[in-house]
Amino acid sequence: MYRMPRPARRVARPALAAPGRTALIALLALCAGASVTGCEGGAIAASTPASGGQSFVSGSYSTTLFRPGSRPAAPAVSGITLTGQRLSTRSYRGDVVVLNFWGSWCAPCRQEAPALAALARHFRSGHVHFLGVDIRDDQASAEAFTRTFGVGYPSLSDPGDEIALQFRSTLPPAGIPSTLVLDRSGHVAGRIVGGVSYSGLKALISEVAAENS
Amino acid sequence: MTGLRAPRAPGRGAPAAGDGGAGPDAALPQPRGQSARLRLAGWLRRGWRQLTSMRTALILLFLLAVASVPGSVLPQEGIDPAAVAQYYAAHPALAPVLARFSLFNVFAAPWFAATYLLLFVSLAGCVLPRTFRLAGSARQQPPQAPRNLSRLPLAASYTTALEPAAAAAAAGQLLSGRRFRLRTGAGWVAAEKGYLREVGNLLFHIALLALLASVGLGAIFGYKANRLLVTGDSFANTPTALDVFRPGRLVTPSDLAPFSVTLDRFTASYVTSGAETGQPLQFNAALRYSASPGGPVRSYDLRVNHPLVVDGVSVYIIGHGYAPEFRVTDGAGQVVFDDAVPFIPVNQNGLTSEGVIKVPDASPDQLGFAGVFLPTAVDSGGRLESVFPAPLDPRVSLVAYAGSLGMNAGQPQSVYQLDTGHMRQLPISPRPLSPGESMKLPDHAGTLTFTGYKPWVSLAITYDPGQLPALLSGIVALAGLILSFMVRRRRVFARASAGPDGTTIVDLGGLARSDAAGGFDEEFAELAQEIMVAQDGRCLTATWHGTGPPADAPGADETIGTAPGSTDPVTGTSESAVSSTDDESLGHPEGE
Repeated sequence: MYRMPRPARRVARPALAAPGRTALIALLALCAGASVTGCEGGAIAASTPASGGQSFVSGSYSTTLFRPGSRPAAPAVSGITLTGQRLSTRSYRGDVVVLNFWGSWCAPCRQEAPALAALARHFRSGHVHFLGVDIRDDQASAEAFTRTFGVGYPSLSDPGDEIALQFRSTLPPAGIPSTLVLDRSGHVAGRIVGGVSYSGLKALISEVAAENS
Repeated sequence: MTGLRAPRAPGRGAPAAGDGGAGPDAALPQPRGQSARLRLAGWLRRGWRQLTSMRTALILLFLLAVASVPGSVLPQEGIDPAAVAQYYAAHPALAPVLARFSLFNVFAAPWFAATYLLLFVSLAGCVLPRTFRLAGSARQQPPQAPRNLSRLPLAASYTTALEPAAAAAAAGQLLSGRRFRLRTGAGWVAAEKGYLREVGNLLFHIALLALLASVGLGAIFGYKANRLLVTGDSFANTPTALDVFRPGRLVTPSDLAPFSVTLDRFTASYVTSGAETGQPLQFNAALRYSASPGGPVRSYDLRVNHPLVVDGVSVYIIGHGYAPEFRVTDGAGQVVFDDAVPFIPVNQNGLTSEGVIKVPDASPDQLGFAGVFLPTAVDSGGRLESVFPAPLDPRVSLVAYAGSLGMNAGQPQSVYQLDTGHMRQLPISPRPLSPGESMKLPDHAGTLTFTGYKPWVSLAITYDPGQLPALLSGIVALAGLILSFMVRRRRVFARASAGPDGTTIVDLGGLARSDAAGGFDEEFAELAQEIMVAQDGRCLTATWHGTGPPADAPGADETIGTAPGSTDPVTGTSESAVSSTDDESLGHPEGE
C-alpha cells in the first residue's frame, strides 16, 4: 500500500502553556526584585545616617582611615568659640587636630563626651589640639553641656553649617557625632562617624601624632 | 497486498515515508548534555520572547498602575511621616502588616521597582529590534507593481497616445512631484507615500524608553530631603543639616549643591470670616540664600508652588507651625536652655501644636517639659482650645518632669518625644502661660519662662535630574503617536502596456495599508485624474472600493473606444475588494 509521505506539519502552539507563562513572569519579577532591594541609598546611605530619618547615629557607625600618602587636604576651619573668641585651625599648623562635630541635643554625642574630655586632658601637652564644632544648638545649652561633661577644649559655634559645608568635597561629617583627625600637615588621617571609644580614638591619635610631618 | 514503497529519495539514508511528521533531529540520537543545554537555551529564548511580547508589557503597565493605588490611598512615609504614625495609632493591628509589604513607602518598595524594571527590560527588548526594523522599513523601496492592477481595491485605466515608456515616465514624474517615493521598471511605476508613519511609530517607542530612562536617572542621581527651619535660623545643604535625607544610589555628599538658606520672616494669611474661617490663603517665607559659601546673597519670597530653584535643586515650602521660645534656669541658678522649640501642629483648624522641651544639662536633675501651644487660645467649657491659626492670643500649657531623660546612654531619641520612663512628674498646677510669664518649679528645681514665639517653615528639598528629560520624552512620545495615527501609508501603481490600435493602455491601482480615517479614495481619484490629464488620456474603467465612485471622479466609460468627450453615466463596478492585506502579492510582508 502506498502511503504518501506526510509533510511535516508545524502546529501553532503557544510558546508556553498559561501556568508556565505566569510562573516565568513571577520568577523574573522575583529576580528583579531581589536585585533592587536597597535600590534607594546605596553607598552614601550606608554612611549617611540622616537617610534613615535620624540626624545622629549610635555606636561607631563607620571608621575611615587614610594612609599617609593618600590623605585629602582639610580646609582651614575658623569661627567664633562659645566664649566669644575668634579661633582658626591655621594656628594649629604643625600639630594634630581632633575635630569633633556635636550638639547638646544629640544623645550619642553626650555618650562620647566623657571620653573626648578625658582624651583632651590626656593629650594636653603633646601638640594635639581638640576642637569642637557645635551644630544646631543655642549658647546656653552648649555652655551647660561643656559644664556637665567638663569639656576643657574650645568649641566653635556653627549654626549655619558653614564649617560642615567646607568639608563637603573632602570627607564631610556624614552625621552627628563625627570626629575628624587631622595630621600635622593639615590632611585628614581618619574620620569616625558615630560615637568614639576612648581606647580607639586614643590609639588613632597616638599613631598620627607619632608620624613625622 | 502488494506494497508499493515510496521510492527512496536519493542521497537520504533516513526512511522518509514511515516517519510521518517527525523532525530531522529525531532520527539521530543526541548526547544527553547537549540536549539539556538545548532545552535550557530553548527555555531562555522562550522566556525572553514572553518577556518582550506586547502582552507582557501591557500586563506590567497595568500592574504598575495598580501598584500606584496604595501610594495614593495610604499615607506615605516620604511625604507625611506624621500621618503614617497616626495610621499606626488608629490601626495598630493592620499597620505592621501593611508596613511589611512596604505599603507606606510604595514607590521605594522592591516589588514596585521590580515591576518598573521588568517593564523597562520588556520594552527595551521589544523596541530595540523593532527600531532597526522600522528604520529599515522607512528607507525601503516600494514593492514592484503587481501584474493585475484591476484586482486592487482602487483601480482605474485609460488609454493614451503616448508610448508605454513615456506614459509610465509621465505618471512617475507626476507622482514624484507629489512627494511619492518612486520605483520604476519596464513600463511600470510603483509609488509609496506616508513613511512618516513609521517615523512616528519609532519616535513613540524610543520616547517611551527615554521616559523610563529619565525617571530611572532621577531616582539614581537625585535626592529628597526635609528641613524644619525656625525664623532667623539658616542652614546649608549638607547631610548634617538635613532632618530627613533620602539620596539616590549614586549620590555622594559632594553632589549636593552647596547653597545656604536663611529664613528672615514668615507671614501667613488666613480667611477671617465665613464658613472657611481659618483656612490658609497664602504662605510667604522671605528667604535669603547664597548658591555657594561666600557667594552673593540674594533674596527670594518662597510661596506654596513657587519653589526656590538653586543649581537645579528645588526648595518647596510644605508646612509651617510655631516654635515657642523658652528660657530655663536650673536649680543652681544657671541658664541652661534658651532657645525656640518647634512644636508640631496636630490640628489644622487652630494650629494647636504639641511639643517637648528637653533640658539635659540642668542640675541637680535633668528636666523635661511636654505640652501644647495654642495660637489663639479660647476657653470653651473649661478647656482651652485654639480657634484660629494666627497667633492672636498665644498660650502655652506645659507639664514638667524631672529625672533622667535617657540621653546620656547614647540611645538616639526623637527630639519631639519625651521618654518619661525614668522621670517623675513635678506637682505643679497646670496654668497656661502667656508670652513673658514664668513657671516656677517646686523644690528649687528651677524656673521656666515662656519668652516669645517664632514661626517655623518645613522645607522640602528635591533634586531630580530626570524631570526635564522626562517631560521632553513625554512630548515626543505624544507627537510620535499622533503622527503614526494621522499619516497613512499608501501606494499607487501604474502600468503602461501597448493596446490595440497602437494606443497604450495605462492601468492605475491604489492601495492604502492603514486607512482607518478614510480619504484615500478621494486622493486616488484626484491622482488618477491628474495623471490622465498629464498623459492626455481617456478613461476606460474605474473601480472604487465598496461604493460607487466619488462625485469628482473621472467619468468611467464602459468600453474602449468611446469618443472622447462623450458623457456616459458612470457605472462604477463596485469591486469586491481584494483583501488589502494580500501582501504577498505586493511583495512586502507586514512586520507586525
